[in-house]
Amino acid sequence: MKRTKKITKFGKTTSLLLFVGFLCISVVSVFAQKPPKPPQPKDWKVGRKIINENLIPAEKSIAVDANVNISLCVESGNLKINGWQRDEIRAFVSQGSQIGFKVLQKSKQNNESAGVMALGFDLAKTADAGADECLSGDEIQIDVPPNATVNVKSRDSETTIESVGKVRVENVGGDIFLNNIARGVEAKTFEGDVTVGNSSGAMDLQSTTGNIVVFDAASSEIGDIFKAKTNNGAIILKDVEQRQMEVGSNSGAINFSGAFLNGGQYNFGTSNGSITLAIPQNSSLKLNASYGYGAFNTDIPLENLIKSMPQKAQNLSGQIGKGDASINLTTYSGALRIKKQ
Amino acid sequence: MTEKCFDIGMIQAFLDGELSAQTVDNISHHIALCDSCAMLLIEAEEESAFAFTALEQEFSNPLVPTHRLWAKINDSIESERKPIWQSVFIFFVNLKSNFSNQTITAFASLLIFIGLFTSILILRNDNGSNLATVNTTSKQTGQSAVSPVLNPETRGTIVNKAETYPSAIKIKNNLKPDDSRNNKSDFRAIKAVYVGGENNQSSSKTSLESSKIEFRKQTPKVETRAESENIAGEESYVKTIAALTETVNSRKDEVLKPSARFAFEKDLAVVDDAITKMKAEVKKNPKNEGAKQVLISSYQNKIDLLNSVTEKTELMASLK
Repeated sequence: MKRTKKITKFGKTTSLLLFVGFLCISVVSVFAQKPPKPPQPKDWKVGRKIINENLIPAEKSIAVDANVNISLCVESGNLKINGWQRDEIRAFVSQGSQIGFKVLQKSKQNNESAGVMALGFDLAKTADAGADECLSGDEIQIDVPPNATVNVKSRDSETTIESVGKVRVENVGGDIFLNNIARGVEAKTFEGDVTVGNSSGAMDLQSTTGNIVVFDAASSEIGDIFKAKTNNGAIILKDVEQRQMEVGSNSGAINFSGAFLNGGQYNFGTSNGSITLAIPQNSSLKLNASYGYGAFNTDIPLENLIKSMPQKAQNLSGQIGKGDASINLTTYSGALRIKKQ
Repeated sequence: MTEKCFDIGMIQAFLDGELSAQTVDNISHHIALCDSCAMLLIEAEEESAFAFTALEQEFSNPLVPTHRLWAKINDSIESERKPIWQSVFIFFVNLKSNFSNQTITAFASLLIFIGLFTSILILRNDNGSNLATVNTTSKQTGQSAVSPVLNPETRGTIVNKAETYPSAIKIKNNLKPDDSRNNKSDFRAIKAVYVGGENNQSSSKTSLESSKIEFRKQTPKVETRAESENIAGEESYVKTIAALTETVNSRKDEVLKPSARFAFEKDLAVVDDAITKMKAEVKKNPKNEGAKQVLISSYQNKIDLLNSVTEKTELMASLK
């Protein structure tokens, strides 16, 4: 009787242990399979904003190398950057933050500042590690040498940059206007328009919800690529003389007006929008057009025309003149049109 | 919400494209200005997207039966509603009270052992049935081929087996033996059946023979992948989009304002529509170059669209 009781007790304990062990393994394996949470973006506002006393306008300048690279971030306000004929950076902020310069790199040739960061506080006055580095104010004006490279990141700013060497600008929100940029442009805004004029060099222009307008642009070196992409907006290109172009809009029309260069490669595409090319009648190009629910028509007759059978998505190829440039047009739902300029 | 706000029925009809152009225009204008309606639209779109994603995955595989599709959808919905940890917790709580009863404890332990034993048996049977499926499908094509590199002593045996796996041997040259060896579980299953079927043959099998048999098991998978791809590199587009979608879905609520979110969802719908229709067209007519071109372009557009949200997140994070 005692032995039976012992066995029963032993059986109960073993069963309990086995059961709990099994459950533990199950729970651990279930939680081990759970994927880790992706890192969440940090809150925007981290630094402490240093405001000028009585909101007096702030102004400051620094001597720099002619090919200086200046970086800055803007919290809010209209930003205007202009090239001037001095090897000096001058910054002015009204109704907003202080100004400071942090030299990141010196030129080996003349020991002048070759890499400079513009700050929203004066390093000499404020030794505050937690101060906001971004400039903010009603109007922010910066003058830089004409050959300077300008890097701007901004949260909410209308940005205008003129007569400088190279520009790289990223806005969370706000329009971008660029004029007379010599060696290339990278411009991206998530809410706003991008306008580029009288500029040369490689260009990468992006807008999420906005239009892109480019006029009188050209390449500065062989191999320069022109890219323009918007998700929700139109792209208008006038007299853009680049040999490699990638132009795309998700929901919006593309209008190209100008000449295609010999040996150039041009790609235009939309998901839901028309593509119109206004080109000279004596153009020389090979055309390849693919369209889903759209139509194709041309004012300039195409030679060697090959057209697929009418079906849901059609493909068409042809040639104008000798066929020196290569043009690809793709649209899912939109009209493709070639007009005489 | 204002007097002009639309009800969920109207929003759903808007999403389904059942309204007239004028009404669509009115609703678009209103939603661009009205946050509450935009949120309503987003919710409706998310529900639709969830259902359509589940459906699309199932429909893309013509071999899957309809009842399995429904079961999968129901399972997805069920798992969404009830987290696993909750079920485990409830089970554990119930268990605590039940352990006072010795009989139940003993019975539960017995059940676990039986369950484990059964699952091992089922797993083994599954491996066997996999091969059986391959065998059956290959018989339908009825081709045969001889492997030139086999050991002469066992060649006869392999050739006979090859008759039952014609499609496998037909494209064996496209496979690297190293790749097939990596799949150890498949190899084990094949080998087990093969040896079982050839009990009276020589028991010593060279590694070369083994690798040849592996080819047979691997090949049907390769064929399926090639058939399912409409355009070259489609799989990588799909993978990229899936990865980006996962990232974007976890962040878009924080990054996009309601109006921007509306524009994003609208653009996404346009691209998705283009992908679905062009995919169907390419599947119907694989020689349609126009459809292929538009499909590639649409994939690229979708990637760019998803990327724009990721890039915005990065820019916002860098502006601290």
